[in-house]
Amino acid sequence: MEKQSEEQAAAEPADSGGEGGPPQVAGAQAARPEDRMTLLLRLRAQTKQQLLEYNSMVDANEERTPEQIIQEKQIEAKIEELEKEIEEVKIAFEMKKLALDRMQLSTALKKNLEKMDIKTSVLMDNMTQILNLNKLIMKLQQETWDLEEKLLDVRKKRLQLKQASESKLLEIQTEKNKQKGDLDSMENSDKIKNIQQNLQKEIQITTVIQHVFQNLILGSKVNWAEDSALKEMVLQLEKNLTMIQ
Amino acid sequence: MSVLRPLDKLPGLNTATILLVGTDDVLLQQLAGSMLKEDCASELKVHLAKSLPLPSDVNRPRIDLIVFVVNLHSQHSLRNVEESLHHVDSTFFLGKVSFLATGAGQESHCSVHRNTVVKLAHTYRSPLLFCDLEVEGFRTTMAQRLVRMLQICAGHVPGVSALNLLSLLRSTENPSLEDL
Repeated sequence: MEKQSEEQAAAEPADSGGEGGPPQVAGAQAARPEDRMTLLLRLRAQTKQQLLEYNSMVDANEERTPEQIIQEKQIEAKIEELEKEIEEVKIAFEMKKLALDRMQLSTALKKNLEKMDIKTSVLMDNMTQILNLNKLIMKLQQETWDLEEKLLDVRKKRLQLKQASESKLLEIQTEKNKQKGDLDSMENSDKIKNIQQNLQKEIQITTVIQHVFQNLILGSKVNWAEDSALKEMVLQLEKNLTMIQ
Repeated sequence: MSVLRPLDKLPGLNTATILLVGTDDVLLQQLAGSMLKEDCASELKVHLAKSLPLPSDVNRPRIDLIVFVVNLHSQHSLRNVEESLHHVDSTFFLGKVSFLATGAGQESHCSVHRNTVVKLAHTYRSPLLFCDLEVEGFRTTMAQRLVRMLQICAGHVPGVSALNLLSLLRSTENPSLEDL
């Protein structure tokens, strides 16, 4: 209804960083009375809206002055809450839209399916293929599960064997330790010492007896070398009994 | 007058004023042209500026929407926008500021990363629009969109305010940017 024309653009290019020039608007006059009526009504609405804006600004300015600092945090919290609400509404809207899309899609699909021939339809082909693939996937998954189970079994066995060998080794170790301890205790015991002392004594006695016999034989002036039995005996007497140990 | 405030003047009757800020004059002119071609019940006024602050001696109507145009092909335009942002009052960012990144179509020419602009827009809690202004069709669509936004920001659409629009435009897609 009204035409605007842009004129006088860039009128002040030399202005230091300033305005490039305001293009002015020339409004044409409204022709008919009905148009004027609507224009007036619109102007009324506009003025009301602008008045509302100015009023709200005045209100806001008045409110601010006394408790501005205290309220700031509350306002921030409030803003957050309101933003959250807006977000929630948006999300709900999106969800509803998605649901609607899905419903539309399913309806369209249904209609199409009804129309199409069952045997030739691409959709059916796709469907059957998908089904086959799904079956294959399930089968393969079953196989993998079985294999995994087997693997687990093997691992379990290995673990058991390991534990068994460990316990056996432990047993061997204790056995060895025990033996060693026994030996140690035996060597140090009084019994052994007594026996050793006895043995020493006996050896000494035997040595003395040997010497006595030797001297007896030598003193009797028998030619001991001729009699083989005697010879053997004399030679045997020569043995050093301390070496027996 | 160094700082631009949104509601310090009375609105003109049935007029909506947009301020396009950017270094690339030709693109801004073209965009302004496309916007003025749009069929719109309110009177549109398009102001172009290379950077802010605006000169104080000019008598200008109330500005309802500022669009910062960042050309992704030049670092200079980004810096210019960043500096201009200091001259905008904080209440402007309640929905009356928007960023427009152009040139994303030609990836090889880009010297400003897309994320930088996204982060900038996120810092100022303002919507970021992407558009290749050099392509005629895209420009027309963007002009339509801007005109609609401008009408809302100027209060010409009953029941919807700029702040309202801002909260609707906020995207949920990249919450991670907040953590960056």
